[in-house]
Amino acid sequence: MPIKARATIPISMSITDLTTTKKPDTALRLKIIAKIGEQKPYNCFQCIRCTSGCPSMKMLELKPHEIVNLARLGFIEELLTSGILWTCATCLKCKERCPQAVAPVDLIFALRNLAVEKEVKVPESFLLSLSAILENGFIQKPQNTVTRKLERVNREKLGLPKFREPDEKFKAAFFKVLEQSQEE
Amino acid sequence: MKVAVYWGCVIPTIQYGYEMSVRAVMPRLGVELVDLDNVSCCGTPVQSVNMPAAIYLAARNLAIAEKTGLTNLLLPCNGCYLSLSEAKHFLSYDEKLKEKVNTLLKEENLQYEGSIKIWHTLNLLHDLVKEEKIRETVRHPLNGLKLAVHYGCHILRPSTLQTVDAPENPRKMDNLIGWLGAKSMPYPEKLDCCGAMLLLSHPDAAFTFSGLKLKTVQDWGADALVVSCPSCQMMFDMRQKSVGATIGAKLSIPVLYYSQLLGIAMGIETEKLGLHLNRSPVDDLLRKTGLISTAASP
Repeated sequence: MPIKARATIPISMSITDLTTTKKPDTALRLKIIAKIGEQKPYNCFQCIRCTSGCPSMKMLELKPHEIVNLARLGFIEELLTSGILWTCATCLKCKERCPQAVAPVDLIFALRNLAVEKEVKVPESFLLSLSAILENGFIQKPQNTVTRKLERVNREKLGLPKFREPDEKFKAAFFKVLEQSQEE
Repeated sequence: MKVAVYWGCVIPTIQYGYEMSVRAVMPRLGVELVDLDNVSCCGTPVQSVNMPAAIYLAARNLAIAEKTGLTNLLLPCNGCYLSLSEAKHFLSYDEKLKEKVNTLLKEENLQYEGSIKIWHTLNLLHDLVKEEKIRETVRHPLNGLKLAVHYGCHILRPSTLQTVDAPENPRKMDNLIGWLGAKSMPYPEKLDCCGAMLLLSHPDAAFTFSGLKLKTVQDWGADALVVSCPSCQMMFDMRQKSVGATIGAKLSIPVLYYSQLLGIAMGIETEKLGLHLNRSPVDDLLRKTGLISTAASP
């Protein structure tokens, strides 16, 4: 059963980032905690199991345990602007292996959502897929392709049934969903 | 047995080989596929941008599937499987969220109940169709083939959801391969990620993920890599040349869907399985099966 995040946070607020002299941002921290719902970042005891199994650690120096720690200390802005959030391959190994049910990947998704909301450092293609869905209902329309012998083919030529896009009513409804989620 | 099928974005817009092979093998196993009308994206591509919108999209597709009155829904794509099972999970305990989603779905006269059971191609074949039926349909046993399997991350984890197989030691695809007469090769990199989800932000890293995995599979001497996810297939098969160039290795390993392999064993024409669309050298594999002595080189 889901466990609600604690409302009061037992971490000293006297921390200051020495390079920027910035104080942790409590409001943003609470916002992130609210977004991740059933996960429990405060249970993390920094065993680094997530980071040791992270494929993006080898390639792009993503350290999930550090993200969890920075988030619970309230250094949210720093995380959003660093660009590190977009190095996660979402393989979900951290979520699977965490002995404390912390789920760093869920935290990363929540932080990405916040980055979009605050319009900081979001790779453009992520936003483009959203507009494509608004337009077509899917991330793309059926593409032409070629066989290994370089013969041009499409769904029809391959004998596949006609591709069905959702109707206009969907677009209106989905637009409303997006508007509503922005208001919250 | 009638099963509703939701193809998602990637399969019906570019990965035609998966759709063709699933459509070709299922009727032979007594599974009648029922296509859904008016469905949209599953939500996976918007998870990073707007999680509530992703849950709405997933719930919407589930609601459409429920409308058919069928009890089983097949999701051949790993991304869709995760997105829909995650939404199902959230909506199963969060009444408030369910109410909110249903209010939004009312716009289109839809309602989410949570009644339909979801399956991926692998567990549908393994647990619903089952061994006996699959063995019965094999016309050309694939004896002597040594194959590496790649499940894809999103059907295995997290175990808080109803996953397709055991997260750390999946066996179902290995069994499925065994039932066709071939041998599944154990290898340490079996659970390594293909990196497809990094394509949008770090394409070089994504290619390196795939390249290193393909290289090891090739070095271990596998006859082919068998996958079950369209995104993984795009990385390992469609982009094999670019992936090899990124890591500086000459890659030449056949990559195909399990459904295509099953079709081969059933004796279905390779063109009906979309095997002419695979970019990797699948002809090498076909020659080894001894089924197509006439197969021309690409």
